[in-house]
Amino acid sequence: MDEANVTFKGSLHGLTIILKEEDGFESILEQIERKVVSAGKFFKGASLHVKYRGKKLSKDQEDRVFNLLASKSGARIKSLTEDTEEPPEAQNNISGQTSPRIRMKDYYFNGINEGVTKFYRGTVRSGQLVDFKGNLVVIGDVNPGGELIASGNVIVVGSLRGIVHAGADGNKDAIVVALNLQPTQLRIADVITRSPDDEKDSRNFLVPELAYVKDNMVYIERFLPQR
Amino acid sequence: MGEVIVITSGKGGVGKTTTTANIGTGLALQGKKVVLIDTDIGLRNLDVVMGLENRIVYDLVDVVEGTCRIKQALIKDKRYEGLFLLPAAQTRDKSAVSPEQMIKLCDELRNEFDFILVDCPAGIEQGFKNAIAGADRAVVVTTPEVSAVRDADRIIGLLEANELRNPKLLVNRIRVDMVKRGDMMTIDDIIDILAIDLIGVVPDDEKIVVSTNKGEPAVTDSKSLAGQAYRNITRRLLGEEVPMLDLETDDGFLVKLKRLFGLRTT
Repeated sequence: MDEANVTFKGSLHGLTIILKEEDGFESILEQIERKVVSAGKFFKGASLHVKYRGKKLSKDQEDRVFNLLASKSGARIKSLTEDTEEPPEAQNNISGQTSPRIRMKDYYFNGINEGVTKFYRGTVRSGQLVDFKGNLVVIGDVNPGGELIASGNVIVVGSLRGIVHAGADGNKDAIVVALNLQPTQLRIADVITRSPDDEKDSRNFLVPELAYVKDNMVYIERFLPQR
Repeated sequence: MGEVIVITSGKGGVGKTTTTANIGTGLALQGKKVVLIDTDIGLRNLDVVMGLENRIVYDLVDVVEGTCRIKQALIKDKRYEGLFLLPAAQTRDKSAVSPEQMIKLCDELRNEFDFILVDCPAGIEQGFKNAIAGADRAVVVTTPEVSAVRDADRIIGLLEANELRNPKLLVNRIRVDMVKRGDMMTIDDIIDILAIDLIGVVPDDEKIVVSTNKGEPAVTDSKSLAGQAYRNITRRLLGEEVPMLDLETDDGFLVKLKRLFGLRTT
């Protein structure tokens, strides 16, 4: 298992492939192919600028990688260049969705449809942490600075303005539901999102919302029919 | 080699956190690489004042306990290049960190940054001891109130007992009109008691409240008098000679007219 010698990384500007320097070119090529094939239709129809970093490739090798990507991925590959830009120091912290990886366990809590649940009554205030190995229901508000961590689903019957982490030991199927969903930060398994910086939500009416993870992105939607 | 500066006061609510945010941002504006450390574990605020609250994943306690690497916990400021925040933990207390761990942390950050500003919690207990442990210099913040000056005096004594010589004094929230009327301590009164060098005077300014609530330090606001004061303080920290800010407020037309005719304006 030397999968980790080739890493695909999506960025704002396209795709970056990170190659381990000590690896031979043939094995790299093989691994890229395996990765692309295992991604299935993921790249299909996309048009990509591809960069690579780590191992230096010759012009000829570049061409081979280019052709491989072009033929196997189903995406239109517009260019393949070496990424010479140094990654900005310490930048990979919070801004991206995936960068700060939270360590996940191999066996995670699975009882999100039917499982052990904790009920907490009262307001979770700043500095308070309610955590539970299972589902968590808070009957009350969660204020900014308050924190909920549950290995299953989190339901807040009230306003959720603090930090919430559902599926905390790795279950990406976990959901977060609140009558008023305005968390400072919302995490499901190892996916992290935060509220936008400039947008002041001035809604006065409560809309119950549900957050879930799909393709490593958090989606938030109403779950009641709109009136 | 970076320099570690602790910002402390003894009394709460005099503006340590606001000062840390503004000086830190001011230094970043001058092109320095700066990290702000919030050591107020359990009552963290600096992240809110900087508007970075929603980016916190790991914090100071995670770093010293080895849960994550320093780089993972550093939050890059959303506006200024070279400005970083190491937030405090909120669900823990001051005893989660020891002075030895702070010294080690500061020493590691020294290699990466030009300035490490440590926002100290109020009080003289564990949190204070942690905050000053790794510091090279200290800025003591006070307001022109007897109680705040008394606490600042106590703090200066403790700093000197901990080998932090020559702390600098920052007088915050001064109101020139009240000083003129004799209702507020003057800068000279304060220096008379504390007998340390003044690094700056920041006037009471409504804009500070606005900027604090918005999470945008006032130092970036070119129209704010307090912002100007913080910019000057930043330059003095960097060793420049900057004259003290003229805090005379604009008296308005009528007062000027009266003065012109030699009438008493009080």
